[in-house]
Amino acid sequence: MKRGIIVMVALAAAFLYSLSSQAADPIKIGILESRSGNFALHSAPKYMAAQLAVKEINDKGGVIGRPLELVAPDPQSDNRRFQELTRMLIQRDKVDVLFGGFASAEREAIRPIIDQYKMLYFYNTQYEGGVADKYTFCTGPVPEQQIDPVIKYCIEKFGPRMYILAADYNFGQLSAKWTHVMAEKYGGEVVGEEFIPLATSQFASTLERVQSANPDFLVMYITGDNHASFYPQAQAAGLKIPYATSINVAQGYEHRRFPAPTLSGMHIGVHYVEELNTPANEDFVKRFRAMFPDVAYIGEQTENTYVGIYLYALAVEKAGTTDIPKVIEALESGLQFDAPEGSVTLDPATHHLVRDIRIVVVDDNHDLHFPATYEQLKPDWLSSEKGVDLTKKPEFVQYEP
Amino acid sequence: MSTVFSVLYIYLDSIAFLLLSSLGLIIILGMMGITNMAHGEFMMLGAYTCALATHAGCPLFLSIVLAMVAVGLLGMIMESVIIRRLYGNLLQSLVATWGLSLILSQGMLILMGPSLPSIPMPLGGVMLGGRSYAIYRMLLPLIGVVVVVGLGLILFRTSFGMKARATMQNPEISRAMGVNTKLIYLLVFGLGCGLTGLAGALYAPTTVLGPLYGANFLAPAFVTVVVSGGANVILGALMASVILGVVEGSFSYAFGAVIGRLSLLIATMLLIRFFPDGLSGWLVKRGGGR
Amino acid sequence: MIRRFLRELNGPQSLGSRGLFWSSFGLCVVVMVLLPAFVSEYEVGNFTYFLTNIFLALGLSMMWGLGNILSFGQMAFFGLAGYSYGVIAANLAPVTDNTFLACILAVLVTMAGAALLGYFLFFGRVSGVYVSIITLVTTLIFETFMAQTAGPKWAIGKALLGGYNGMVGIPSLQFRWGNELIEFFDVPLYYLVIALLLVTYLALRWLANSRYGNALVATGSNPVRTEMLGYDIRLVQLEVFTLAGGLAGLSGVLYVSWGHYITPSTMGLTTAALPVVWVAFGGRKSLLATMVAAIGLQYFAQYLSMTGSQHALVIQGALLMLVVMFVPEGVIPPVGRAIGRWWRRGTKEGDPS
Repeated sequence: MKRGIIVMVALAAAFLYSLSSQAADPIKIGILESRSGNFALHSAPKYMAAQLAVKEINDKGGVIGRPLELVAPDPQSDNRRFQELTRMLIQRDKVDVLFGGFASAEREAIRPIIDQYKMLYFYNTQYEGGVADKYTFCTGPVPEQQIDPVIKYCIEKFGPRMYILAADYNFGQLSAKWTHVMAEKYGGEVVGEEFIPLATSQFASTLERVQSANPDFLVMYITGDNHASFYPQAQAAGLKIPYATSINVAQGYEHRRFPAPTLSGMHIGVHYVEELNTPANEDFVKRFRAMFPDVAYIGEQTENTYVGIYLYALAVEKAGTTDIPKVIEALESGLQFDAPEGSVTLDPATHHLVRDIRIVVVDDNHDLHFPATYEQLKPDWLSSEKGVDLTKKPEFVQYEP
Repeated sequence: MSTVFSVLYIYLDSIAFLLLSSLGLIIILGMMGITNMAHGEFMMLGAYTCALATHAGCPLFLSIVLAMVAVGLLGMIMESVIIRRLYGNLLQSLVATWGLSLILSQGMLILMGPSLPSIPMPLGGVMLGGRSYAIYRMLLPLIGVVVVVGLGLILFRTSFGMKARATMQNPEISRAMGVNTKLIYLLVFGLGCGLTGLAGALYAPTTVLGPLYGANFLAPAFVTVVVSGGANVILGALMASVILGVVEGSFSYAFGAVIGRLSLLIATMLLIRFFPDGLSGWLVKRGGGR
Repeated sequence: MIRRFLRELNGPQSLGSRGLFWSSFGLCVVVMVLLPAFVSEYEVGNFTYFLTNIFLALGLSMMWGLGNILSFGQMAFFGLAGYSYGVIAANLAPVTDNTFLACILAVLVTMAGAALLGYFLFFGRVSGVYVSIITLVTTLIFETFMAQTAGPKWAIGKALLGGYNGMVGIPSLQFRWGNELIEFFDVPLYYLVIALLLVTYLALRWLANSRYGNALVATGSNPVRTEMLGYDIRLVQLEVFTLAGGLAGLSGVLYVSWGHYITPSTMGLTTAALPVVWVAFGGRKSLLATMVAAIGLQYFAQYLSMTGSQHALVIQGALLMLVVMFVPEGVIPPVGRAIGRWWRRGTKEGDPS
C-alpha cells in the first residue's frame, strides 16, 4: 500500500512535470529590427520596446501559461538580409509570430514570404498606407489618420498655399498624393512640389525654389539623416515658413538632435511622441528608461512595437492557442488595449488601429505642445474607398490612392 | 538681378561642395594611387572631432582646424600600419580601405551611438533681392579657393612639395636622389587625410551627424577625382569641380535634385569617354599645366 | 577520352589539375547532389540562395583575376537582369506559363547592357581604376533611377517597377509540360542551380585555359605588349566584360526567381562591393577559390547577423583588411597548395618506387 502511494505520487509528479515542462514551452516571437546600417537609429529602440513588453508580460506569468521569447537576429538595414532572416525565423526557428521592419521596403521584403508560409506578421511603423493583407497587422498610423488633420489644422491657421517637399520614393510620393487630396478637401492649394532623392543632403537650389514660391506653409515628407539636413540649412538661410509633417520629430527626434530653434514651427499629425503628457505615457517612459537608460528617444515606431506585442499577447490569450488562424480570428474580434498613447482598437476589416491623433507643435525652445487632439480616428480608407474587408475576403496586396 | 545672383549662388555652392569633398581624395587617389573607399569615414571623423570640440566649448573655427590636424595625424598612423603595404596596387587598396570603412563607421556606431547632436550653423542669414541666404554657405566657396591656393603653394612652391611630386611620379629615382620617400609618403597621406577631415568639419554644421555621415560625399568626390585625373591635382580639381558643379547646379535648379544627381553622373561618363586620363591628364599631354 | 577532356580543362590558369583535385571535385558534386536528402528544406533553400550569387562572382573572377579589370558593375547587371526578368515574366507568364524564355531574354538584355557600357569604357581606352569607378558610378545611377520609379506611371505592361520598395510578385521559373505546370522552387530550383553551376564552372575553366584565356591574361598583365602582338585588346576586354555581365545576369534571374522580389538597394554602395570582397578574399586568380570563398563568406556574414551582434560588420571589415594586407593572393590558393604538398608527400612516402 505504502509502495502504491509512492508510485502514485511519483507518477503524478512525473505527469505534472511533463505538463509543466510543456506549459513552460515558450511562445517564440521573431523580431527583425536593424542594430546596424542606415536605419539603426530608428530600428534599435523598437527591439528594446519588444524586450520591455516581453519582460512585463513574462513577469505577470506569460500568456496561456507560457512565457514569451524573442528571437532577434540583426538584419543590418539590408533588404536581402531581411528575406534570408525571415525564411530562417519561419522555417528553422519555427517562430509563432514575426515582428519588424522599419522602412516600407523592408516590409515588402518580408511580406511575400509571410504570405507564402501563412505566418502572422506585425509591422509597427507609420507608413504610406494601403496594405491589405490577411496575415499582416499594422500598428502604425496611416495617411488618412495623420495627413488629414495636420493639413486641415495648418490651412486654418496659416492659409491655403502649401509647398510639398517629399523624399523621392514610395512613402514620399504617396504621401504627396494624399496631400493633394486633402488640400482639395479643405480648400487649400499646392503651389509647388519637389521630390528629393534619398542620397541628397544639400538643399541650396531647393531652398531657392521654395522661397520664390513663397507658400503659407511647407509640407515635409523627407526621411532619413540626409534629408534631415534640410532643417539646419533652411534655418541658416533664414527661412521662416511653418512646417507640416506626418513623419519628422515623432520618428527621428530631430528636435532633440538639432540645436533650438532649428525645428521651430513644425506641426506634426501623429499619435505618439515621448513627451506626450498623459499619466499612462509618463509611466511607460519611466519603465522604458529604467530598463534602457541609454535609449536616445522613444519614437512612435517604438511605442507601436510595444503595443503590437501586447495586442498579440491579448489575442493569444483570447484564442487560447498560438495556432495562427485562431490568433488571427481573435485579432479580428475588435481587440482593445490601453496603450501608452491612450486607448487603441484593432479594426478587423483593415488590420490597422483606431486611435487618437494629436497635432504636435515644436516651439522656439524645441519644447512640444499639443494644441489639438482628434479622438479615435479610423483607418478607414481601405474599407470605404477600396471595399476591403479582410474578415470576409482575404487579400495580400498594397493599394495606392 | 536677384535671379542672376541666385543662379550664381547655386553654381558656387555645388562647385564648393565638389571641390572641398574631393580635395583630400584627389591627393590620395590621384597622386598616391590609393583608392580610398574610407574617404567618407575620414570626413565623418573630421565632422565628429569638430562637433565634439565645439560641444566642449571650443570656438567653431578652432574646432575645424583641430579636426584637420586630428584626422591628418590619424591618417599618418593608418599609413604606417595599413596603407604602406598597398602602394602600387589600386585594386588591393580598394578592398582593404573598404574593410577599413566598415570598421570605422560601425565602430563609431557602437562607440558613440547612432547620432551626435549637430552644431548650429554660425553667422546667420542675409537678405539679398528678396531672398535670404546663409552667410556660412556663401563663405564655403571662398574657403575652397583659399584651401586650393594654399595646397598649390605647398605642392609647387616648397621643397616638400617638389619632393612629394617627384616621389609620387618616380619613387626609385627620388630615393636615389636622397629623398626619404618613406617619410614623404607618410606626410602626403597625412596631408590628404587632413584635407578630408577639414572638408568633413566644414560641412558638419550644415547637416546631421551620424556614423554614415560620409556616405553622401563618396560618390561626388570620386566622380570629381575621376574627371580631374591625377596629373595636376590643383588644376584638375578646379576644372572638374567647376564643370561638374555647373552641370549639376543647372540641372537641379531647372528640374529638381533627382535630375541634378543623374546629370552629374552622366556628365562624368561622357567626360571620361573623351578624356580617359582626366582633364588634368589631357592638359598635361597638351603641354599645358605643370 | 576523359584524359583529353581534362587536358582541355587543365592549364596554367587553374588551381588544381591533379587526380586528387578531380576526385575531390567529383566527391563535392556527389555530396551536393545528395544534400537535400540529409538536411532540412530551409537549409536547402538557404544554400540555393548562396549558390545563386556564385555566377556573378565567377564572372568577376574571370574579369578581374585574368583580365585585371575590376568592375563594380556586377550588381548593376544583377539588378538589370532581375528587373528585366520580372518585367518579361510578369507579362509572359499569364500567356504561356513558360518563364524560361523570360530568363534567356533577361540575360540577353543584360549582356547587351554590359556590351554597351563596355564599348564606352574599353573603346574609349579607359583603364585601371577608372573602370572600377565608372562601373561604381553606373551602379549608383541605376539605383538612384530605380528608387524613384514608384507608382502606376512606372509600369511596363503588367509589371510595376515599384520604386524604392521594390518589385514584388515575380514568378518562379516554370514551364508547362503537357497539362502539368512544372515550377522550380525549393529542391527542383536547387538542382537546376547546381546543374547550371557545374556547366558554368567547367565552361569557364575551359575558356580560361583556351587561346582566348591566354590572350586575356596577356592583356591584363601587359596591354601594350599584347597589342604589339596583334591582339585587339579592346575587343578582348569587351568580350570578358560582356560575359561577366551575362553571368551576373544569370545570378540576378535565379535570385529573383528564388525570392520573388528585388529592390534598388541591391545596387547600393555596400552590396556593389560584395562580389569584389568575395573574389579578393578567396583569390581572384582561381575560379574554384572564388566559389569556395563566396559560399563561405555568405555563411559567415549570415551567421554574424544571426547572432545579432553589433560587431558583425566590424569583424567582416577587419577580416577583409587583414587578408588583403597579409595574403594578397587570397586565402584559398595557399591552402590548396598546402593540401597538395601534404598529399604528394604522403603518396611519395607510401610509394616504394
